Amino acid sequence: MDKAEAIVAALGGADNIIEIEPCATRLRTQVKDGDAVNEPALKAAGAFGVMRQGTVVQVVVGPEADTIATDIEDILD
Amino acid sequence: MTRVLSPVGGRVVGLAGVPDPVFAQAMVGPGTAVDPAREPGRAIAPVSGKIVKMHPHAYVVVDDEGHGVLVHLGIDTVQLKGEGFELLAAEGDRVTAGQPLVAWDPAAVEAGGRSPICAVVALDAPAEALSDVVEAGSVVQGAELFVWS
Repeated sequence: MDKAEAIVAALGGADNIIEIEPCATRLRTQVKDGDAVNEPALKAAGAFGVMRQGTVVQVVVGPEADTIATDIEDILD
Repeated sequence: MTRVLSPVGGRVVGLAGVPDPVFAQAMVGPGTAVDPAREPGRAIAPVSGKIVKMHPHAYVVVDDEGHGVLVHLGIDTVQLKGEGFELLAAEGDRVTAGQPLVAWDPAAVEAGGRSPICAVVALDAPAEALSDVVEAGSVVQGAELFVWS
């Protein structure tokens, strides 16, 4: 499983992801069910950190965020 | 050894002074931060090297030693979608330290309700790789912020 696939799985799967947007250092995501997000799995997938406010989850992945977001969007489409 | 220059002039606040946990907790690397002077300016390359990431509000320059330095202009400025930022260089360009890369106005960012504080981060570096890190006081654009060995 590559990084993008692992992150999608840890965010509760493609069906749980409403929106994903890259920033310079992180993925800003909105999910349907915040409880379905698996933080240890996100870190195992390579995230430096995770910040959660309800259904808004920020996954800190470093400057490759835009590349990873493109890969994730390919999975979601 | 990489000497990392301040992309903007202003007041150094250190990474702990950045109102964003990703930077304040050094999640993407150690470094420092500068609260810029509230006047239109042109943020410069902190090191000589290649621009590997070029967003309107943030950029990464990697030098010949493979040291990548992230400059992030303001907090949550990705939400501005480039408005108020003019790119003076492109991803893939080779640049020299001190070369202007982005024209912007910290006062306009602040007027929009966001912090214009600029984080300068040594990507993926262990904290002990940095020395002479400036954490406080005023700084002029192009002055040394830290040394990365």
